[in-house]
Amino acid sequence: MATQPNYAYRAGLGTAEELPRPRRRAFELRALPHESVFFYRKAIDNSRLVRESDPQSRGACWSAIGVAGIVVALLFGVLAPSVADTLSGYKLQSLRAEEQRLLDERRTLELAVAERLSPEHLARLAGRQNLVTPRSGQVLRLESDRPDSSVAMVK
Amino acid sequence: MAERRLIVLVSGVLLWGAAIFYTLVKLQIVHHREYAAIARARQEVVVPIPAPRGSIFDRTGSPLAMSVPVDTVHINPLKIDPIIAAGILSAKLHQDKNELYRRILAARDNRRGYLVVARNLGWEEGDDLSHLPVDGIALDRQSQRHYPKGALAAHVLGTVNFEGKGDAGVEQTLDQYLRGTPGAQRVLTDVQRRWIDTETAVAPKPGLPVTLTIDERLQFVAERELAAAAAAHGASSGSVVVMNPHTGEILALASYPVYDPNAPPEAANPPQRENHATGVPFEPGSVFKVITLSAALETTRLRPESIIDCGRGSITLFGRTIHEAHGGYGTIPMAQVLARSSNVGAIRVGMTVGQQNMYDYVRRFGFGQKTGVPLPGESRGRLRPLSRWSKVSLASVSMGQEISVTTVQLAQAASVVANGGLLVRPRLVLKIGDRTVNGDPPIRVVRPETAITMRQMMEGVVMPGGTGYPEARLEGYSVGGKTGSAQIYDPASHRYTHYYNGSFLGFAPLTNPAIVVVATLNGTHGNLGFGGRAAAPVFHAVAQEALRVLDVPKDIPEQAPVEVAAIKPAPSDLAIASLESLEPNILEEEGDEDADAPPAAAGPKVPDFRGKNMRAVLAQAASMGLSVLPDGSGIARVQFPPAGATLRQGERIRVRFAR
Repeated sequence: MATQPNYAYRAGLGTAEELPRPRRRAFELRALPHESVFFYRKAIDNSRLVRESDPQSRGACWSAIGVAGIVVALLFGVLAPSVADTLSGYKLQSLRAEEQRLLDERRTLELAVAERLSPEHLARLAGRQNLVTPRSGQVLRLESDRPDSSVAMVK
Repeated sequence: MAERRLIVLVSGVLLWGAAIFYTLVKLQIVHHREYAAIARARQEVVVPIPAPRGSIFDRTGSPLAMSVPVDTVHINPLKIDPIIAAGILSAKLHQDKNELYRRILAARDNRRGYLVVARNLGWEEGDDLSHLPVDGIALDRQSQRHYPKGALAAHVLGTVNFEGKGDAGVEQTLDQYLRGTPGAQRVLTDVQRRWIDTETAVAPKPGLPVTLTIDERLQFVAERELAAAAAAHGASSGSVVVMNPHTGEILALASYPVYDPNAPPEAANPPQRENHATGVPFEPGSVFKVITLSAALETTRLRPESIIDCGRGSITLFGRTIHEAHGGYGTIPMAQVLARSSNVGAIRVGMTVGQQNMYDYVRRFGFGQKTGVPLPGESRGRLRPLSRWSKVSLASVSMGQEISVTTVQLAQAASVVANGGLLVRPRLVLKIGDRTVNGDPPIRVVRPETAITMRQMMEGVVMPGGTGYPEARLEGYSVGGKTGSAQIYDPASHRYTHYYNGSFLGFAPLTNPAIVVVATLNGTHGNLGFGGRAAAPVFHAVAQEALRVLDVPKDIPEQAPVEVAAIKPAPSDLAIASLESLEPNILEEEGDEDADAPPAAAGPKVPDFRGKNMRAVLAQAASMGLSVLPDGSGIARVQFPPAGATLRQGERIRVRFAR
């Protein structure tokens, strides 16, 4: 690279160590070794700059935020019933499915009860318990308003 | 410069906004309907709403037939992992895993997208499977018909076919009411096909419940006794009908043999599915003498005390000889013609009535026409038009030959006598939905006096000397009835066989009949196959139970002593006639008149109940057929009559209990 020390060496003026080093100015950064590229740093002092407050832009900013919030709220207000409707629909269908399931369960249980109350089943159970069909004279109808211990009751 | 850039930027933003606005307007306003329809088509599903079939109840509200939901599990073998499916489903459905895996693979190899894994799952199993987090398993909800009482009233209820349509019994005749009309609903779904909202497009119409006149308790007793009697007497078939003579309500209609409608026989027209009470007519034999004598009371001057010459036990008409079953009765009152079931006497009475009157009254009693009971395949029986009656037809019909009837027709005819002379149509349906089904108005057949006179004569059948004594007698109730034993005709050989249709037709109590019971057994043989021996005990058991269940007051005093006469072999009411031939038809002797009569029955000995508790006392008394009147509670201390005494018929044992 055609840096200054190289140029000086080629010009026969001596090596980099022999040639007098130029005095760096304050804004100069250290040169890259063996390079004639110099970086300069420029110090800028902005401490004297003070941002001037702009109520108008602040107001506009807050207004924008407010409008955005209102828009979001309006959107929410428009969409929320629909969302709630959908969620309610899920819940409603779930309840309907549950109702149907309970009705089906009830129907199946009614069938089971009917099977167990069939005369054939009762006769089989009666036979196991050594029970027999009562004759007409053996059927005693207990009157509820008469707690008569003299009336026989077989349990 | 800066302003120019700002203007360009704002213009670009405005253009972009305008483009968006234009697109919005185009989508939401211009093409609104089109896109809404597309969205609806994707989101909405039309789902059928099943209409459950109406249930069938007995008169007490006990369900006899009902539909329950069942699920069919099916998978798409092309979209589901066979290993996962086989593993999960085999565990849930208790199937062999390897077999199920093999089936799924076979379906995949055949490029089948539908494979049924299990059918008729209950709601619990279906609910369990529906929550599986596995795609590709689907459930189809269907309705399956169940008959919770098994074979009870199978011939009345009938069955439904695979399409859910009734194909027998009440299921068939009332199918239009029982079968509902499915509806449809529009369902809004989300992207995962979960339901969000439903809207009924077509409202379903569920099937109407039907309440029958049948009482399941009486039906059970009728079927039980019929089956036992058929087994005991070797009958091939039989039937029992229990009917309210005033309203026509059929309380029980039993047919033997039976079948279970939950698992009906698969063969076409198997014998078990024949309803012998309504669909199979038979020659009634001597029970038909009730009609003959009723017609005589109505159209002639004959009365119960009128003397009928029964000769020496035979009568020859137009070259044909008809015999009594046992010897000759000589001259006897008309009441005894019925009680002893004299064939000659019935012919004499019939000849007095005449052909025209006999035919008229046979028709007026409902024979030769359907009763209108709502069961498919009802037979009208067989009654030749008067123009086709031969010279001996009057004689034959007078004793119940040359005519065929059904059991329910006999019950209808017996009701005429039981209710005071009105023909009341048998009814099987009490209510359809909430609507009560009313019967047809009754038709006067005979005068009330005739009916009352017939009742009194029919009581003679169950008194000592009658053909129904003692089998048809009831405890605590007066009974009127008639036995019948008709030989079965063989069309192949044109001769009557030695097999009988044994019948008993009766009602109780005599003074105000609450029930009519007709029992028939077909294909019995021997002395024990006659109506008095085979069918009368069925009548006894069914009628006794029916009167107890219906809480009918007794009309015979409890403690009235009744002479227990020597039990003789039941007089036969056998009758033979040839339908086609006028050749002399010699009645072959049946039974042995010289057989020793069984010893006179003695009253039972009173057992010793002392020291036993109430339950043991009642159980022992019931097993011995004794009546006990308990008093108090605890242990039996005192009893009357005392242990070892002979109990008189109708007498009850009083037992006092104390602790």
